[in-house]
Amino acid sequence: MVMNILLTIKQLQVKYGSQTALRIEEPIAFEKGERIGIIGSNGAGKSTLVKALLGLVPYEGRVVTSLTPAEMAVHMQFNAYVKTMPVRCIMETVLDTRIKGNKELQELIAFFEFEECLSKRFNALSGGQKQKLTIIMVMMQKAELTFYDEVTSGLDFETRQRLMEKLVEWYRDKNDTLVMVSHYYEELEQLVDKLLILDKGSIVAYGSVEELFRTYCGDSILVLDNSERNRMLTEGFRTLKSPAHLLALSCRSRQEEHDIASLLINNNVNFKRSSKDIEIMSINAREHHLAQAASI
Amino acid sequence: MTGKGMVWMKKRKCNMRMVLYELRNLNGNLMPHFFGIIFPNFMCYFLAQSVGSGVPAAMRQEVVTTVVLTMTLVMPMAIMLLGYGAIYSQEVEREIPLRMHLFGLEEKSIVLAKIIAHFILLTIAFVIFAIFQLAVMDIQKPAPLSLLCLVVSLYAIGVIFLVIAHALANLLRKFSLTFGITMGLYFFLMIITGMMGMRTEQLPEGLQRVAWTLPMTYISNDFIDFWQGGSYNFMPFIQSFLFLAAVAGLLLLFSLHKGRRVVR
Repeated sequence: MVMNILLTIKQLQVKYGSQTALRIEEPIAFEKGERIGIIGSNGAGKSTLVKALLGLVPYEGRVVTSLTPAEMAVHMQFNAYVKTMPVRCIMETVLDTRIKGNKELQELIAFFEFEECLSKRFNALSGGQKQKLTIIMVMMQKAELTFYDEVTSGLDFETRQRLMEKLVEWYRDKNDTLVMVSHYYEELEQLVDKLLILDKGSIVAYGSVEELFRTYCGDSILVLDNSERNRMLTEGFRTLKSPAHLLALSCRSRQEEHDIASLLINNNVNFKRSSKDIEIMSINAREHHLAQAASI
Repeated sequence: MTGKGMVWMKKRKCNMRMVLYELRNLNGNLMPHFFGIIFPNFMCYFLAQSVGSGVPAAMRQEVVTTVVLTMTLVMPMAIMLLGYGAIYSQEVEREIPLRMHLFGLEEKSIVLAKIIAHFILLTIAFVIFAIFQLAVMDIQKPAPLSLLCLVVSLYAIGVIFLVIAHALANLLRKFSLTFGITMGLYFFLMIITGMMGMRTEQLPEGLQRVAWTLPMTYISNDFIDFWQGGSYNFMPFIQSFLFLAAVAGLLLLFSLHKGRRVVR
């Protein structure tokens, strides 16, 4: 098992001036082949953690890893290149190769439908194309550990969806270790199997999506509109914290789920079932964390 | 890895591809081409015509040669101070060196590629200047050692201004500030070292003192004296070089110190 650990964080603390931006007290390990999502609101410390792991910000504590820098790749939140430079030239210089003679790169370019962008200058690319450029170059590094920090940040809904579909498709059946920072729960649901939830620089929870879901939500949840009729209908069932417009019901067993579902179907109520809803799970994990902190 | 933080480097060394990339980068910004090639050629031509027409015919060739010698100084200053400063500060502001660093391109290698590209452009500027001025103006033929001395001095001035531009861009981390300061410095130095047609003796005494601490002043005032041979006391000229190099070196050290990552 020890052989599979790529990186362990021990007692990590990052300060900006007198303010503590991140404090991780319990050890955290990233294992080979894991897909780890880092989630939290603005200022939670997500990007700070990635920067600390890459040594881009000073920190106290230890990051134990056998990886050499060459075995890590990173897609930063902001990836800028020389505006007037042709994309082909950026790619060939960064990767130190010629596209013409590199079949693997050609395949990746084709996979991301990026061929037409090669002759453009960087400033002529759209937001999604700019992200694709960095993703292609990051993927070509074939690193043991790859970080994606807000890879769809600033993109419109459709472009975000398409880009995520491509990423999911690319990494399907591959054994790459990924650390993915995102604001978007549905993106993480598609790609990660482990989750690190941060809030105001502290860890709220860390574990596999299933494990965390069971801890904070139950076996499954049923989500419906938060209307008066639905509230009355489901009175007495366990509700979870959820976005204001939704009502999330926790099911602790198959039987309970069946009972609630039957009730909803019989009353013609639309609902959604999930056993890995990251949004509801992280809201409840945060609530639990806050309650624990308040009791201390 | 302990609390030191990771030294993120895949150590990609400077190579031909990186130099070609930087040459393209230079060509994407026309400022060095304008201020370093077009401007000195035309400024030199018009200044030589104007000054040369006001002196007796017997002195004209010497006066024109002085103007040409003076105007050679515009090239290293424009290409290295203005051009490099503008390009590198834009990149620093947009964190491009960091992005490249994360792809394994060492900052040292990137800077080396930039330096080589800028020296290639500087050499092209010198060649164009020499061809153009020889074609349109009657210039005194130099003694080989004097010509060598001029060329070496111009490249050395280029290095010093590149260091100054690099340090300013690293310190200020903003294109607008770096460009404003380098542009101001460029015109100030051009005025006090005689590149704008004003002789050093015409300056106020305080400015004259400043001017004589700079190697450009010696080139524009004294090089004509040994252009065709003869002896010259190089000591003050060398001292001025050492002084400017020391200023540039200190500025660079300060910028590196300020930009270092503090490790607790």
